[in-house]
Amino acid sequence: MHVFQLFINGHSLNSIEAVDTLLKICRENLKGNYQLEIIDIQKDPDKAEEAGIIAIPTLIRMEPTPVNRIIGALNVRSRVLAGLGISSMHK
Amino acid sequence: MVTPRLVRTAPYLHFPNRLRLPMNLQKLETGNASFDHISHGGLPIGRTTLVAGSSGSAKTLFGAQFLALGIQLFDQPGVFVTFEEQVDDIRKHLRSFHWDIDTWEKEGKWIFVDAAPKEEIIIAVGDFDLSAFRIRLERAVMKCKAQRVVIDSIGSIFTQFHEETHTIRRELIQVALTLSRLNATSIITAERLEEYGNITRFGVEEFLTDNVVILRNVLHNEKRRRTIEILKFRGSDHEKGENPFTINPEKAIVIIPLSAMILKHTSSHERVTSGIPALDEMINGGFYKGSINLVSGAIGAGKTLLVANFINGIREKKERCLLMAFEESSEQLYRNASGWGIDFRQLEDEGLLKVICIYPEISSLEDHFINIQETVKNFKPDRIAIDSLSALSRASSDKGFREFIIAFTAYLKHEEITGLFTSNTPLLAGGTSDTEGNISPITDSIILLRYVEMSGEMQRSIAVLKMRGSKHDSSIRKFTITDEGANIGKHFEGISGILTGNPMLIKLE
Repeated sequence: MHVFQLFINGHSLNSIEAVDTLLKICRENLKGNYQLEIIDIQKDPDKAEEAGIIAIPTLIRMEPTPVNRIIGALNVRSRVLAGLGISSMHK
Repeated sequence: MVTPRLVRTAPYLHFPNRLRLPMNLQKLETGNASFDHISHGGLPIGRTTLVAGSSGSAKTLFGAQFLALGIQLFDQPGVFVTFEEQVDDIRKHLRSFHWDIDTWEKEGKWIFVDAAPKEEIIIAVGDFDLSAFRIRLERAVMKCKAQRVVIDSIGSIFTQFHEETHTIRRELIQVALTLSRLNATSIITAERLEEYGNITRFGVEEFLTDNVVILRNVLHNEKRRRTIEILKFRGSDHEKGENPFTINPEKAIVIIPLSAMILKHTSSHERVTSGIPALDEMINGGFYKGSINLVSGAIGAGKTLLVANFINGIREKKERCLLMAFEESSEQLYRNASGWGIDFRQLEDEGLLKVICIYPEISSLEDHFINIQETVKNFKPDRIAIDSLSALSRASSDKGFREFIIAFTAYLKHEEITGLFTSNTPLLAGGTSDTEGNISPITDSIILLRYVEMSGEMQRSIAVLKMRGSKHDSSIRKFTITDEGANIGKHFEGISGILTGNPMLIKLE
């Protein structure tokens, strides 16, 4: 089971791209076995404060541990998969 | 909300301020009197100042002090952004300077924005921006109505995102714009790799160009020398060049404003006794009040004896004297003085004398200077004796010592304190020392104590080399030390070459 938090800023280009890519990965590589919370820092700045977010977009993989972070628009899918430790074999 | 206090001038050490042209740029008094002095009033209000320095140059402390003094003195809340040190470490650091960070945070006067590196691995895939940071910064500023903001240090964000320096540069311009929109007076710190080279490591100065302050921490001859330089304040005047500073455990950063000192002292015609009537006669009635006087001599030539008499001279008019002894313990001093019939202990009991005996090496010259100032402020002496300057000069580099002497004598003159300093000459007969080379141009009088080797005997001599603004006796006289103290005799007749250390008898016609 993968648990993610994705911090975005409204409808900024990078934010939209990151949401799209991540949803695709979840659908195609994780087959629905995931939890994803998308947090808009405009609406929920406290959460950004708590998590110490600087860059947008920031994706946090809460589980499996260790926790890690990927920043950016996530536009290179293979690198995102590698960063999240998801084997493309899941496909 | 408290409106920021605007100042044009900040008195420091009560040096008279220069005549200034009116400035069109307003400044925010930082509360650090010495910085407000050299910056002619503080930091440019509502603007961002870049504070650059190598690692260990006290950038973080400079920023933290700016916020702390804002809260303490002006009730101006502040936001501290950390990109480098962990918040808890900064809190500890602040507490060590007796800044009550816990209360300030509780009262919402100080807000941390934690942007320090996390333990987690961060990788970057694709384009990003720092909007989250900007939003957090803005919220914090709004929340406490911050008038002061510190971002420490901007170089670390390049290290955190080291593959994306282009993005970071672009984003930092946005941060700078956010800061200027928020109208807070801010400090951004940045690293430098060399003490004399590019302003900052990542070229931050390219977009933070208006106001630049540089902190240096130079190692020279095994001694550290910290300086601060205001490189520019766009549209505003300030002192130029480097000024030494020190980190004081009570007052944090204290600057010694060399460049802001001017030669304008009231010179008194009033005379004060040297404690030896015959010496008073040689210098035409005593030292001038508020003058700086140097006694130069080899070991055992009678320097401390002159100091003891100078101190004893306070009896007459119930003056007060501060003695800074860097060579002997107070026990030794008391014993020696009583050997010459001078009772230091009684003077001390009467509250006329204060003796401070310390090793010069225990702190830097800048710290000594600040400690002496503190003591002067509390004790309010009319006279100061320093025995010896040569010992004190060990605590610093040559340059640092020269600066200390300039700052210190200017300070004494302004306070109208009469000073008597001693200095050791390395040779028994004749000669001068480096210390003297540094100090003699700014002294008002110089008294030489020299050994004279004659007829298989070491005799002592005394001569007045210079006495500014007054006639003086130009003869070289015999000087003897007896149970009653100093005794000045007749001048050496028919002998020449005493000062060069080669006395020769010349035949008198």
